[in-house]
Amino acid sequence: MDFNFTEEQEMLKTSARDFLEEECAEKLIRDVEAGDQGYSPDLWKKIAELGWLGLVFPEQYEGAGMNVIDLAVLYEEFGRAMFPGPYLSTVILGGMTILEAGTEEQKSEILPRIARGEQIVAMALTEPESSWGMQAWDPEGVTVAAVADGDDYIIDGIKLFVHDAVCADTFLVVARTKSGADPADGITLFLVDAKSAGISITPLRTVAGDMQCEVIFDKVKVSRQNIVGALNGGWAPLDKSMKVGAVMLCAQMLGAGEKLLELSVDYARTRIQFDMPIGINQYIQEHCVFLLRDVNGARWSTYLAAWKIAEGEPCDFEVAVAKAWGSDAHERACWRAHQVHGGVGYTVNDGVLPLYSRRGKTYQLYLGDTAYHKEKIAKELEGWPAPQVPRGKPLGLWEGIPENWIPEWWDTYDKG
Amino acid sequence: MDFRFTEEQEKLRTEIDDFFLDNLPSDYRPRGQRGQTMEQYKFWMDLQRKAGAKGYLTPGWSKESGGLGLSDMEQGVVMEETSYWGAAWPGSQGIRVCGPPLHVFGTEEQKSKFLPGIAKGEDIWYQAFTEPDAGSDEANVSLRAVEDGDNYILNGQKTFITAPGQGDYLYTLARTQDVTPKHRGISLFLIDAHSPGVSYSALPTLGVFTVDIFFDNVKVPKDRLLGELNRGFYHAMVTFEFERSTTGGGAGARRGMEELIDFYRNEKPNGKPLLENPAVRDLLADRAIEMELVWLQGWFAAWHFSQRDKLGSPPPEAGGLHNKVVSADRAKQLIDAMGLYGQLRRGSKYCKYEGRAAGSWEVSRSTHPAGTIEVNKIVLGGRGLGLPRIPAKFNKEIRAAIEERG
Repeated sequence: MDFNFTEEQEMLKTSARDFLEEECAEKLIRDVEAGDQGYSPDLWKKIAELGWLGLVFPEQYEGAGMNVIDLAVLYEEFGRAMFPGPYLSTVILGGMTILEAGTEEQKSEILPRIARGEQIVAMALTEPESSWGMQAWDPEGVTVAAVADGDDYIIDGIKLFVHDAVCADTFLVVARTKSGADPADGITLFLVDAKSAGISITPLRTVAGDMQCEVIFDKVKVSRQNIVGALNGGWAPLDKSMKVGAVMLCAQMLGAGEKLLELSVDYARTRIQFDMPIGINQYIQEHCVFLLRDVNGARWSTYLAAWKIAEGEPCDFEVAVAKAWGSDAHERACWRAHQVHGGVGYTVNDGVLPLYSRRGKTYQLYLGDTAYHKEKIAKELEGWPAPQVPRGKPLGLWEGIPENWIPEWWDTYDKG
Repeated sequence: MDFRFTEEQEKLRTEIDDFFLDNLPSDYRPRGQRGQTMEQYKFWMDLQRKAGAKGYLTPGWSKESGGLGLSDMEQGVVMEETSYWGAAWPGSQGIRVCGPPLHVFGTEEQKSKFLPGIAKGEDIWYQAFTEPDAGSDEANVSLRAVEDGDNYILNGQKTFITAPGQGDYLYTLARTQDVTPKHRGISLFLIDAHSPGVSYSALPTLGVFTVDIFFDNVKVPKDRLLGELNRGFYHAMVTFEFERSTTGGGAGARRGMEELIDFYRNEKPNGKPLLENPAVRDLLADRAIEMELVWLQGWFAAWHFSQRDKLGSPPPEAGGLHNKVVSADRAKQLIDAMGLYGQLRRGSKYCKYEGRAAGSWEVSRSTHPAGTIEVNKIVLGGRGLGLPRIPAKFNKEIRAAIEERG
């Protein structure tokens, strides 16, 4: 057991914080939200130069060869800085899926381009029906079909809540190529050029003010060569990337939560009402104390899940625990921060708290909210074995013996 | 970062596990200490002595003191398995609460006299701190200890003293000086539980079994003072740190989860396993999340403690507070999911899951041991987060007002 971060991780953390404080200030975040791209190409280029876009890719694809724990360290800082940009879409859901399942040709063509900041990928998974909730991130929710047509496939249908669709060069489309008893068997991943004929994109107006879109695929033609992974076997690699993504959202919420705690404690100490700092009131202190819990609780569940992934160990339970706790805890943390800040916490045009709060909602919902992941946990628990039975002779001391308020040894105790 | 245990630690875990697997009966149910029958109590006393002979009760203590001389992390492994099996040691207070300060502040004579008895599982200690007017305000102790030649003479009362077995010794806070601030006049004493003048009466609670203790001119020899005179409150504070680094919570919860899942799997009202009931799934998921968080928090604390020379004091942690806050919700989920059967206590006809839903619901009424939810919040807000506290001059005014009123 070792809860230390490596020296490299500490350095990454410090340099990321310094860089983002400088380059990703409130003004940039507001500009991006007001713009129609959903990201800042300038900032994107800069983080490519820092090597962050290739952080988890092997060196042969112009990456830095770092692991998912390192990535979580970076994501904590993304969360703290509210970094806006298609990182999750491009690097994790796009890049890591290609790294996992793509052909050598796909990998050596696309991954270096991603690392250099020259290619943006957006995952198109959720659909109008599945967007209601529980099946959004399960293969059951995928109904948009891709039908073989010679050497091509024709994709036809609507994908909803596609992050970063407007700025994407490529869509990773999750489509159904076969229906059967096993919903995961029959899902295929296609890399589709965003400029293909038949694609139309409409941004949705979300609370976060991010660029989630409706993407209509109207008989879009895509070559068989653009399949990532096996035909009908796309779910497994995608699921793996989505788990990484879910943990990164946890890290993002953790980083944002840390900042919310700092802001709230600072405000409670310095805001004067009734001639006293408001933080002297125990009602206010209570909000800060619970904020501490909601943030702290998320830290090690996040890093345990990241560590499991990095070690290649089974991680379904740990990921579900991290995201189930992380999402609800972050919702509470935002609410507590608002309670401490009062009026200044909910102005639209200045102050960062509403920005955190609005983005927080997206982090909570994306790749599975609390209810979704709690059901995953319950599924895991179903598989738990019966408790171990000791080997000693049965003594009949416990089963069916009534419990009294006073233990029997009290009768013979010398009470003075 | 590494969430794996070393090979030696895993070996130790297996060793402890085997001890319990061999020594517990196949029909064993981990059910805590409340309201034990004499046979159950005797069983635990016997097993406690067996564990003590192997050094398993106090693995972190030196060999001279009856331990195994293991590191903090290895001690954590032993505690984890001990909790997993729900060992209801009658000597738990001595092992967890009274032994550590004896190590830190005891004289050589005190250590050699008292520690082996705890480690071997022979002696049972009570931590006798709380008084009728010193609950959350621990510094308000008024059990009086007055110097008299080679002795102190004690008069007063303790209350709500956890009594997991037939006590042999009391680890007690008493007032040795009237002084402001109050906590500068308190001392720690190690007292024979059956000294003349000490008497007991039962104070059963919805949680653990507790007692009232009365002191009527009790003579305590001076060599039973622990640490410095009038520094007892500070000594006690230092050793509260030891209680933080516990790894048992998560493991104890894991055994509970296993049993609960098994119960829901096998109980099939109308032919449908309770495990498929949405309320049950929700409850299990909530418990699993908290189990995992408690496990992580326990090991983080243990790890941090093991590196205290390098890392200093641990960061503020509100996990314990959270668990107190949600414990009532969890107990409610559990009892409500059993319908009318939920209200049946252990041993009743028709009782399900051995009445544990009712039992844990009863226990969940008491979140105050080791600090109420409210005191926890105040401490975390002030000492943990550095939020402002009511200035001393106002405190003074309030106190003056109280005194004026009489």
